[in-house]
Amino acid sequence: MKTSLFIKIGLSTAILTLSGLLLPLSGSAGSVGDQPAVGDYSRGAKVWSNNCGRCHNIRDARELRDDQWFSTAFHMRIRGGLTGQETRDTIAFLTASNKPARKSIITVKAPISSGTGKSDGQVTYNKTCIACHGGNGKGTLPGAPDFTNPKGALSKSDAVLIKHITEGFQSPGSPMAMPAKGGNTDLTVEDMRAVLAYLRKQFGK
Amino acid sequence: MKYPGKFTRRVLAVAITLVLPMTASADADYDALKKQVEQLQRQLQQVQEALKRQEAKVNEVKENSVTRVEAKALENEVNAASEWKDPNTLIHMAGYADVGYSSGSNQDGSFNVGSFSPIFHFQYKDKVMLESELEFEVGEDGETEVGMEYMTIDWFVNDYMAIVGGKFLSPVGQFRQNLHPSWINKLPSAPPGFGHDGAAPVSDAGLQVRGGFPIGNMRSNYAVFVSNGPELITGWEDGEFELDGIKAEGTGTDRDGEKVWGGRFAILPMNGLEVGMSVATGKATVTGIEDDTGTAPGLMGEQARDYDVFGFDAIWQYKSFALRGEYVKSKVGGAITGATASDGGEWKTWYAQASYLFPTTKFEGVIRYANFDTPHASQDQKQWALGLNYLFASNIIGKIAFESNEGQTGSSTDDDRWFIQMAYGF
Repeated sequence: MKTSLFIKIGLSTAILTLSGLLLPLSGSAGSVGDQPAVGDYSRGAKVWSNNCGRCHNIRDARELRDDQWFSTAFHMRIRGGLTGQETRDTIAFLTASNKPARKSIITVKAPISSGTGKSDGQVTYNKTCIACHGGNGKGTLPGAPDFTNPKGALSKSDAVLIKHITEGFQSPGSPMAMPAKGGNTDLTVEDMRAVLAYLRKQFGK
Repeated sequence: MKYPGKFTRRVLAVAITLVLPMTASADADYDALKKQVEQLQRQLQQVQEALKRQEAKVNEVKENSVTRVEAKALENEVNAASEWKDPNTLIHMAGYADVGYSSGSNQDGSFNVGSFSPIFHFQYKDKVMLESELEFEVGEDGETEVGMEYMTIDWFVNDYMAIVGGKFLSPVGQFRQNLHPSWINKLPSAPPGFGHDGAAPVSDAGLQVRGGFPIGNMRSNYAVFVSNGPELITGWEDGEFELDGIKAEGTGTDRDGEKVWGGRFAILPMNGLEVGMSVATGKATVTGIEDDTGTAPGLMGEQARDYDVFGFDAIWQYKSFALRGEYVKSKVGGAITGATASDGGEWKTWYAQASYLFPTTKFEGVIRYANFDTPHASQDQKQWALGLNYLFASNIIGKIAFESNEGQTGSSTDDDRWFIQMAYGF
């Protein structure tokens, strides 16, 4: 009986504390009263890769339309205990990654051994690629390739890799595909060349 | 005849001398004029051809262009077609279903429909969401059974809190609220004690506060609830009623008026790792009894019994490898008054499961051990389960599994079983 009373008091205190502390944040959080503000693509990619696979296989972004991802993300906010900001970030990533890929029209003539100087490949990698490919290039998700494997993805030609980045690519055996441009529609040709140069320099053997 | 005079001849000679060059000059002008005319004709022809080409271009442009009226009509059409993108209310259906075949060492094999569980979402902006999961099953007698797995209205109060009211999946532990759908569960069956009327609560009707928030570089999530609580099951044994189990499904009416309080708090110290702890406490009462003759004596003065639950769960995922485990203990106190006065009991269960998706393939191996311990030997069960899955897609999974069960000899809990299952999450 004493234990039960203790737990009840503890839970009541927890509710009151949470209510008291968190309710005033509704104004600054900026999520109440309107459609969510646009989330951050890069943070969303990390939330998505760090959380979804803990309970179930990660779903391919192309499985659902924007509006379907919106409701699904809020359903997962309840299920997975995500914050409102994490939910908005995830929506930003998924709705950017479910668009049809355009065919690559980039011509690669000379080997890409270094960046052009107009774009920083490491910055692009850390913003767009790191959530799935990891800081060590070995991949954080099932099916993500190991860039450090000499016979792996980086053994392919520049032209093939640029095509994969541009159009998206599903590795053999992977349950899902990398979205076109990693889901970052702002990625330019220079960005892609720079990030490939970074991959070769950082992880290539 | 009078011939012209000398003067006249001279005049004529001068005139002829003057006219002859003039005649020659006129011929030259004519030729030049003719050339000019011909040139003008060519230029005119060129201009006409150019004009024709221009007219053709104009016609082509006209054919490929739209008027303002047409453009406005097109704009209206586009706006109408994209209306679904920005409504205040979104309607969405998700869910899962499975079909399969099972065969036991003491049971004939049979195909089974499993369940069809659509989940409906109705969402008003980012403020409120109505969620409901129905469960359709085909029973052993062929009748279709329908149940409401959960139905809640969720109010997103702010970025860190949602208030959830209705019938909800129990927040105690992870399996019931997050892992039981067939496209998520890596084996075709639930671990013993985590199914209906086991040790772990399945659902409850009440009110929840839940959400997540960061703690430094770590993340956390929580759920706190108050609910109607479970009802208790009794069985007729040796001429008296004995406490038989806990109804894990939430009820729409709190017949004993006793509420249950509980919650879960989980911390995610690093990516891929979640560790949670759950508690619940309150009172539970026997609300219906039936003796061995099938008659149900009236209940009078049934004593509300202490009801306490403790749970611990952990999940660790690294790339293609996932390790998870969960422990739940439900304890019910004894009663000294009422028709069902009897001792209390403890229902304990736990499982540990490892799974691995083989690199560059779509095959996944799974192994699980579970131990369900109850006050009744007929319910106790130890189980090893081994499975091989094929991922047609992330949400479409074919499973084949074998369960080695150890329970009371001759009972269903001792029956080894084979399963084949196809699960589809949508």
